[in-house]
Amino acid sequence: MADMICEISEVTKFYGGYQALHGINLTVREGEFIAIVGPSGSGKSTLLQIISGFEKFDGGSLKIDGKDMNGVSPAHRPTSMVFQKLALFPHKTVAENIGFPLKLKGLPKAEISKRTSEIMELMELKPEYLNRYPRQLSGGEQQRVALARSMIQHPKLLLLDEPLSALDVKLKKVLQAELKRLHRSIGLTFIHVTHDLEEAMMLADNVCVMQSGRLLQVGAPNDIYHRPANRFVAEFIGDTNLIPVQISAISEDGMAEYVSTEDKSLKGRVKLPKDSERYFVGMTTDLMVRPEFLQFKTVDAALGPQMAVRITETFMRGSTIQVKAMAKKAHEDLILTIELSGYTGPEFEIDTNHVLEWSDDHAFLLPKSERRAT
Amino acid sequence: MNEPYPTSPSSLALAALPSVLLQAAFFVVPLVMTGLLSFQETKSYLLVWTWSFKTWGDVFSNFYYWSIIFNTLIMSGITVFLCLLIGFPVAYGLATRFPTAQNNIKILLIFAFLTDSVLKIFGWALFLDKSGVANFLLTTVDLPTLPGWAIFSRASTLLGMVYSLLPFTIFTIFLSIEMLDKTLLRAAYDCGASKWRAFWEVTLPLCKHGMFAGALLVFVLSLGTFLESKILGGGKTPMVAELIRQTFETRVNWPLGSALTLVTIFITVVMILLFSKISDLRANEATK
Repeated sequence: MADMICEISEVTKFYGGYQALHGINLTVREGEFIAIVGPSGSGKSTLLQIISGFEKFDGGSLKIDGKDMNGVSPAHRPTSMVFQKLALFPHKTVAENIGFPLKLKGLPKAEISKRTSEIMELMELKPEYLNRYPRQLSGGEQQRVALARSMIQHPKLLLLDEPLSALDVKLKKVLQAELKRLHRSIGLTFIHVTHDLEEAMMLADNVCVMQSGRLLQVGAPNDIYHRPANRFVAEFIGDTNLIPVQISAISEDGMAEYVSTEDKSLKGRVKLPKDSERYFVGMTTDLMVRPEFLQFKTVDAALGPQMAVRITETFMRGSTIQVKAMAKKAHEDLILTIELSGYTGPEFEIDTNHVLEWSDDHAFLLPKSERRAT
Repeated sequence: MNEPYPTSPSSLALAALPSVLLQAAFFVVPLVMTGLLSFQETKSYLLVWTWSFKTWGDVFSNFYYWSIIFNTLIMSGITVFLCLLIGFPVAYGLATRFPTAQNNIKILLIFAFLTDSVLKIFGWALFLDKSGVANFLLTTVDLPTLPGWAIFSRASTLLGMVYSLLPFTIFTIFLSIEMLDKTLLRAAYDCGASKWRAFWEVTLPLCKHGMFAGALLVFVLSLGTFLESKILGGGKTPMVAELIRQTFETRVNWPLGSALTLVTIFITVVMILLFSKISDLRANEATK
């Protein structure tokens, strides 16, 4: 596999008696933008530190660009890190900061200043910033200097350790767009660690979801959103409705029939994903329906399964409104998102009764049946 | 809005009044009196209230006084240099190598620091004396005794000064190393720096503040030392503080003592200004 720039296999990490990583397997293709998301303590930063070489791992192997990285110091890895607090040298000018990696390589001054200017142009940093100190620049400009300092090294892997987390929302949006543009224009491999799911979905080609030191799922944002590997991923990636069901039959063409475990009259038929061997008749699991696919029943022909509910809460969200409803038979909280523009459905007010329905085309049976952990 | 400090000029003046009074009573007034005294004369150990420049004429024409002042400056300079030279590795080790023993070491340093200087200096004298503890121990294990210059010499004076003032550089440098953002070092390693290079390019320049502060403190304080030269140095390397003390106490020549005091204060202030000018330049470079 020649185009695999980073191969992580069965990597484990212990901090004393605490296991921070449980056999992580991950391969990153050249030019890919990978985002690692997870709540704090999920091990995502530890994994990044291991790739960068600042942390050692206790088991497994790590290859970057085909070379085993065990025992190779951060200085000698083809990686470069953009730190959370950027870690620009306060006593060096912008030019000295950006040119520092080249100065360490012993390149001649003329060459350093030429390449520094080039990279500053690429990062859209004004030439007059050359002799300023990092503190004299705005947060966004400092960010670009940090990126420039990393990119001037021509790393094989650019590691981003939540560099956007400390910024305000508006600037964050701008810099996210810039990161994406940069990734597209230079074709470098990015590994971006973040706790911000929206950011991960927006930027990355592939999202890795981590929890308690385990890699739960790797996939395109769309896959992860619509076909989560388990309950944790389903709930971590956006709002969702999970209805406990039992599989009553699986047909040859990969369709599964389910019955709600709390309301026997609620049944449906959904298509199973390709790896359908994980499903079996009699299995109890959760049916996932994203809030935007739930809707109020209209007079037209039924769309699919239906549930009688009472509305308990509504939340205005700008162009959409989120409605919280309680199922009458199942004591289950459901949420639905309603696009306001062009809405023609019934009026919805708190404490009114409605019937909700969804199409089984948009429902998904979770491949793991574990119940809510919390 | 409750401001933590007054902002209007009148309330500011009122709030500053106690401090101004205190400074005036205990700093400005004595200084002015010293200045006035330097224009008087003495006859048979008695102060004669006249107005003359005789004392100042003495001060500027007597080479002996200036040689002592010059000697003091040299000794202070060497002390600063030695304190930085010894203090930096100690502070660096303390901040980076002994995370667990750090507090205990600091307590020991403070303990030594707070012990009365007379005790410490006599302790050294007893230790280094020709028939002292060091020589006793050395002869017991059949090693040659200390050389003659181990006590009552310029070297032993310096030893005492460095010993007394070393904590100032250790603590100021220690603080600046500890306040250093450690991710900066990680960033340097990530850029390809070796440990030594990262130290040279990142740690050292960012510790300049601490080094300058420590150097300034040591310099100013060492200009005022006299115990070390008197007890450990055996009076062979007279320092200006001892000269002034003698002029006041033994020679009972208050005008001359005052004039010498003013000269010393003037030199000290000039040196401080010079020092802070240099360190300010560096500081601006480091923090802008």
